[in-house]
Amino acid sequence: MLADPYGAATDLVARSAAAWVSGVPEDPADDGFFGPASVTWRVSTDVASPIAGLRSLLMQALHPLAMAGVDEHSGWRRDPVGRLTATSAYVSTISFGERAAAEQAAARVRRIHEHVRGVDAVTGRPYAASDPALLLWVHAALVESAIAVARLLGTPLSPEDSDRYVAEMVVAAELVGVPAALVPSSVGALERYIASVRPSLRCTPAAEESMTYMLDPPGMDVDVAGIWQDVRDGAIAALPAWAREMYGYRAADPLTPNRRTEIRQALGVMDAVFLGEPGVLEARQRLLLRMRAALRG
Amino acid sequence: MRKLSAAAAPVAAAAVTAAAAALAVARRRAGRLRVDRGLAALRLAARGGARYAGSAPRLFAAAGQSRERLRHDLALQTAEDVAATLGEMKGVLMKIGQMASYVDGGLAPGVRRTLSRLQDSVPPMSAELAAQVVAAELGQPPERAFAQWDPAPIAAASIGQVHRAITLDGRAAAVKVQYPGIAEAIAADLRNVALLRGLLRVTAPSQDVDALIAELRDRVLEELDYRREADNQRLIAAYYRGHPTIHIPGIISELSTRRVVTSELAVGARFAELAGWPQKERDLAAETIYRFVFRSLYEVRAFNGDPHPGNYLFHGAGRVTFLDFGLVKHFTPAELQPLMNLARHLCINHDPQAFRASLENAGFLLPNAPLSTDTIIDHLAVFYDTIREPAALTITEQYASAVVRRFFDVRSPVAAYVRIPRSYVVLQRINLGLFAVLGQLSATANWRAVAEEIWPFVQGPPSTPMGHAEAAWRASRPAAAERLLP
Repeated sequence: MLADPYGAATDLVARSAAAWVSGVPEDPADDGFFGPASVTWRVSTDVASPIAGLRSLLMQALHPLAMAGVDEHSGWRRDPVGRLTATSAYVSTISFGERAAAEQAAARVRRIHEHVRGVDAVTGRPYAASDPALLLWVHAALVESAIAVARLLGTPLSPEDSDRYVAEMVVAAELVGVPAALVPSSVGALERYIASVRPSLRCTPAAEESMTYMLDPPGMDVDVAGIWQDVRDGAIAALPAWAREMYGYRAADPLTPNRRTEIRQALGVMDAVFLGEPGVLEARQRLLLRMRAALRG
Repeated sequence: MRKLSAAAAPVAAAAVTAAAAALAVARRRAGRLRVDRGLAALRLAARGGARYAGSAPRLFAAAGQSRERLRHDLALQTAEDVAATLGEMKGVLMKIGQMASYVDGGLAPGVRRTLSRLQDSVPPMSAELAAQVVAAELGQPPERAFAQWDPAPIAAASIGQVHRAITLDGRAAAVKVQYPGIAEAIAADLRNVALLRGLLRVTAPSQDVDALIAELRDRVLEELDYRREADNQRLIAAYYRGHPTIHIPGIISELSTRRVVTSELAVGARFAELAGWPQKERDLAAETIYRFVFRSLYEVRAFNGDPHPGNYLFHGAGRVTFLDFGLVKHFTPAELQPLMNLARHLCINHDPQAFRASLENAGFLLPNAPLSTDTIIDHLAVFYDTIREPAALTITEQYASAVVRRFFDVRSPVAAYVRIPRSYVVLQRINLGLFAVLGQLSATANWRAVAEEIWPFVQGPPSTPMGHAEAAWRASRPAAAERLLP
């Protein structure tokens, strides 16, 4: 990474694109856990979804025990590329893969989690990656981020679709080991859950270090840094005010229409680059065809 | 982040790949660019016009019948589909790619691949969507605006597609229909100068980025308004009316608007078919293309910035139909003068010092570059090789490649001192596009003699049968049309 950061990044594009593509089956036996008529597919293919991903990482990292598990076990400093690439493959498979493929990927993650346990140096509390309470926070942060970012920068979901999305995503939490009864299945329940966790959230040194790395990756070319700054601004603007305060980001000005346009333009450029990787266009076309067929009924 | 990925939903992966994508662009710029540049130029030359050969909408990963079905099923159905496919900078990126490909060989293979895939990602409009645009523009649906309307497009245009039709008065027509909403989306994207600057620094690192942005904006905004294209085509068609070998389809004005342009349908052989024609025919076609480019430049003071094989139809005996006037650059006499000076000093007066001074005056060469004039001649005269001596000469693909290589050779001692002033950005297509076309035809002619016929400062006598026919045509033209200028 230090010797050739760009080389690693190029590698990441190729590898994560390949991973994403591999999750989109060519001739699926079933529609997986969501399917082409789902709100989940629509949300996942929106141009603003990279910002939703970044915003969910920012939210997730505020849980000290969740963050401790990542910090002490994931080796992200040593190999951020490999770490993020694995996520890409997992996410794609869960969202678009056949049920068997999704279950297999989830089982693998659960096995890995068995070994992720320890004591958080900041709070002194023990943690385990298989703890449903931590998994649920990670899940909720993600689902809520998708809705918030769609509203601010993407294609906003109607209240009905937001509820449907939260309900659809319950199965993603179940797959990694959260009992369904614990998982919010409406926007109201999701908001109440997040409010209940809020008192235990904080920005630990590990959260600050990892998120600073995400928001400002070292060695970025000045022109690319400009694009990344748009993405970062979008993610931070979409955070709740209390989360921004925990990180010490200055209060964001309300997003002007012009600024929103600029951020979406940066997203479009990144999307075009991703589209240039082998198989990405074909995978997207496969998804689009299935979504259109589902729409026609 | 192993733990965080535990319950990751689809969105997380996107952030990952986005970060990676951004960094990959950085890599392409900062890392291999210099090394790759020569290679990219070679590929550009080797591919020549091949990338334009397919004039039908391209869809990746599909062939034959399934390709037809895919085209239909993936078609853009709504203005929202258009925005998702070409909005958010993607349409502008394609235009940047088009421009960067002829101002800078610095398009590293990765960037080139990205831009080419981006083009592949644009399906045609559905028949319904195209019909909606026609109805909105012409006031009635295509089946009423025309006697016959073919709902399947016959070709992709950069921001639209072409349909065949028969007009109510019975003329066969080609109707170019613009994607709905694309003009607004691209105009908005062109306002993001900061992002454009970054993109151009990546794709065209050796150029004056601000000049490029200005030129890009002007040309693309013009291209978005089909009335401009119709004006250009009318102007050029009027000039060449009655020409023995050059044909420009007429514009059907009453069926042309900002987003729809209707012209007479031309039918002829495509460029690829010329491969099977006798060399004599290919030479004649090449002579016509050459005459068209330089007559237009010096007499109409207009240059069609897109001289690629997809824009020609061939009819034999040197007769060629020229299509697509979306990207036409008009010049002032003052802008043309330096070009004439350069040719005169180098090819006629054989005066290297004056050639150098002209380069400097026109802004092509920084003044006081620490280079001998011999070095400058050595490196820049290659662009004039075809016209330095009055003798028959074959333009080979090797020559076309050498021109491209020289043009993009950053290791050349003159590279650091050469600039392309904004007005001439589009003209680089002469060095790249035109020679690539002539090279693919292995065209032989006494190019110098043909050039002398056309050069206003020489006005040489006809040098070929085509030259005689052209001279007769010129003599017969009404005087008023002679200076039909914008």
